[in-house]
Amino acid sequence: MDRSEAQSRPKRYIDFGRWIRLGIGVIVVGFLLFRLWNVLWIERAYGLDTWTRFAVSGIILGSVYAVVALGYTLVYGILFMINFAHGDVMMLGAFAGYFTLEALKSIGFLNRSVGTSVLSVIIAFSVGMLFSMLIAVLLERIAYRPLRTAPRLVPLISAIGSSLFLQNMAQLAFGAERHTYANPDMIQRNSGWMVMIQGKEVLITYTGVLTLVISFLLMVGLFLLVQKTKMGKAMRAVAQDKETAALMGIDVDQVISNTFAISGLLAGAAGVMWGLHMGILYHYVGFIPGMKAFTAAVLGGIGNIPGAMLGGLTLGILEAVGPAILGIPFQLKDVLAFSILVLVLIFRPTGILGEVLSKERA
Amino acid sequence: MRTRVVFVITLVMALALLTGCGGSAFECEDEWGCAEIKSGQTVKVAYIGPTTGDYSSFGIDMSRGAELAVAYHPDVKGFPVELVIEDTQGSPEQGAAVANKLAADPRVVAIDGHTFSGSTEVAIPIYEDAKIVMMSPSATTPELTDLGSPVFNRVAFTDRQQGDAAAAYIYENLGIRKIALMHDGGAYGQGLAEMTGEFFEALGGTVVGKEAITPGETDYSAPLAAIAASEPELIYFGGYDADSAVLASQMGGAGLENAIFFGCDGTYGSQFLDLAGEAAEGAYSTFVPIPESGAFTKFREDYKSKYGDEQGELSPFSPHAHDALAVLLNALDQVAIESGDNLYIPRKALADAVRNTKDFEALTGTITCSDTGECAAASILFMIAQDGKWVPGPGQ
Repeated sequence: MDRSEAQSRPKRYIDFGRWIRLGIGVIVVGFLLFRLWNVLWIERAYGLDTWTRFAVSGIILGSVYAVVALGYTLVYGILFMINFAHGDVMMLGAFAGYFTLEALKSIGFLNRSVGTSVLSVIIAFSVGMLFSMLIAVLLERIAYRPLRTAPRLVPLISAIGSSLFLQNMAQLAFGAERHTYANPDMIQRNSGWMVMIQGKEVLITYTGVLTLVISFLLMVGLFLLVQKTKMGKAMRAVAQDKETAALMGIDVDQVISNTFAISGLLAGAAGVMWGLHMGILYHYVGFIPGMKAFTAAVLGGIGNIPGAMLGGLTLGILEAVGPAILGIPFQLKDVLAFSILVLVLIFRPTGILGEVLSKERA
Repeated sequence: MRTRVVFVITLVMALALLTGCGGSAFECEDEWGCAEIKSGQTVKVAYIGPTTGDYSSFGIDMSRGAELAVAYHPDVKGFPVELVIEDTQGSPEQGAAVANKLAADPRVVAIDGHTFSGSTEVAIPIYEDAKIVMMSPSATTPELTDLGSPVFNRVAFTDRQQGDAAAAYIYENLGIRKIALMHDGGAYGQGLAEMTGEFFEALGGTVVGKEAITPGETDYSAPLAAIAASEPELIYFGGYDADSAVLASQMGGAGLENAIFFGCDGTYGSQFLDLAGEAAEGAYSTFVPIPESGAFTKFREDYKSKYGDEQGELSPFSPHAHDALAVLLNALDQVAIESGDNLYIPRKALADAVRNTKDFEALTGTITCSDTGECAAASILFMIAQDGKWVPGPGQ
């Protein structure tokens, strides 16, 4: 697209855009390398143990972003619509998990034995995922399906409205105060394996490892679902061409509904993981992670499933390590995250891995 | 020419008609003008704070303190006092919007607020233009009185006083020499943390690390890891309870399990204890104790019977909100002028009367205002969390 445009232009015009982009790129990369060298060898502000802590924190955060980003990417791949309410679907899933764990705790099931604790966590995940799935499917039915043939901006605005609606509904229903997640005793926050690095103990929390493992399983599961099953084939067909898919006998509405259901399941799982690991929950908790996950999806290439995973992990690690490398306060990590988004959009508008589905279509 | 003469005459007549209406003309001699309360109207005072949102426990509690102040002092020379409660959600933007709304109402004469420093800072110039006197129960940034505004006063003790006392307590009573500072980047939190750091260094201690966080998040493990690298014995945090709770509960996982969490008066309250749970144990906060008195006992009883909660459960500041309004109402009594059926409130005289408050008996102590508008009566106490409760810290 870019190349064909350049070719159609008369030769005497110089492509300033490309030179400006190159200039920005050289400056940014040069500055980053300078800072990295400075921090690692001159200032030596942090030891290896601290870098490990940053990396652990970033990978865990990144894997949650990745799972949420998968939901954005799936819906975008099929409908070319950004479901801004996705972060709030995650928040509702987290609340469903919270109430489930509270209920199990109040009947004394949560900590009765190792078996019941494991079962409680599984129940909490199931309830959170099913509730989020329900919300996502209802959202599609009520807020997006009637707008299927409308211009693309209309469902986007509907999505932003849904996001505000879900947030305020949660505030009304659960109150504005914060809630603490009731973890089973065996996976209390701040408990985990101690790893010795340069004579210092670094804690790898159980909840963090749980988050990583579950994210990984969900990503693999989703990949297999999309690539190997009949349902996945139908989803890919609808993503490529709705009309033709319908002519081939695929129920497009059903496929779209399924896609939202899957994105809801992922959001619910992300919500419960978030609650178990971070511990504090309130009605606004889904909005910023939702934005970050959207950033992650764009970073990796929206519509592209491995891209969402890569984008999520990259963003999480950047947020944890970036401020330390640049020597700026951690308060500015959001600035960093969104600056990266802008830079990626300047250099690779289709994201790191590119927009696979649209390329196939072209 | 003739039309101009006619116009001038008409104007003079119209003015005479306006001012002479009702026969008994009242001439307002105040520099800033007077608020006119007609017979049957109310004298409006306002409490302004975050009654919804993240910091709603402060706003709800303090608005109750203000309501009780009005219940104890229901009228000014026979004109009923009406309390207007406006919500800022704790944000400066919303604070400015609310201030503009109230400044446009000619019957609003005094403000019990704003609650947070950031919101107060933007509101001061607005009320100064509208000539409305303020008494903040809890805006503690020292610079607020340095602005030299004739309308701004406060019963809150300042961050400078708190920072000084906290540094001395940490250095002398706890015997700690290496601290790290964290804050939420807000006017209150950042100012307090930096001031405490300065006082601590003046005493001979070292500040080994500084970090700012984004308020309202649920994961601070990365900034805590950065702080842990400098191995402080104690983390001093300037900010509010929800963020304090997240920090205190994630310190253990970030390699700070042996460091003490030392919060400020924004940390004190039940929410920190509820949210941080076991991680709260051993954490410090700042509290402004209220001396026992008959009036305070009655206040607590009335609070309980009217609202069902124990006073002090939501936030510690309802007595301050009460006192701020009590001082304002007392000054209103002194300056209000009855004329005909109406009540007139000279605005400059009111601001002066508030500033000249002397030996006024209130819940937080005996209130005397300085010529810059500092009216705090209270002293400071450092509290430690033990067995899910705040108790006074050792050595005080």
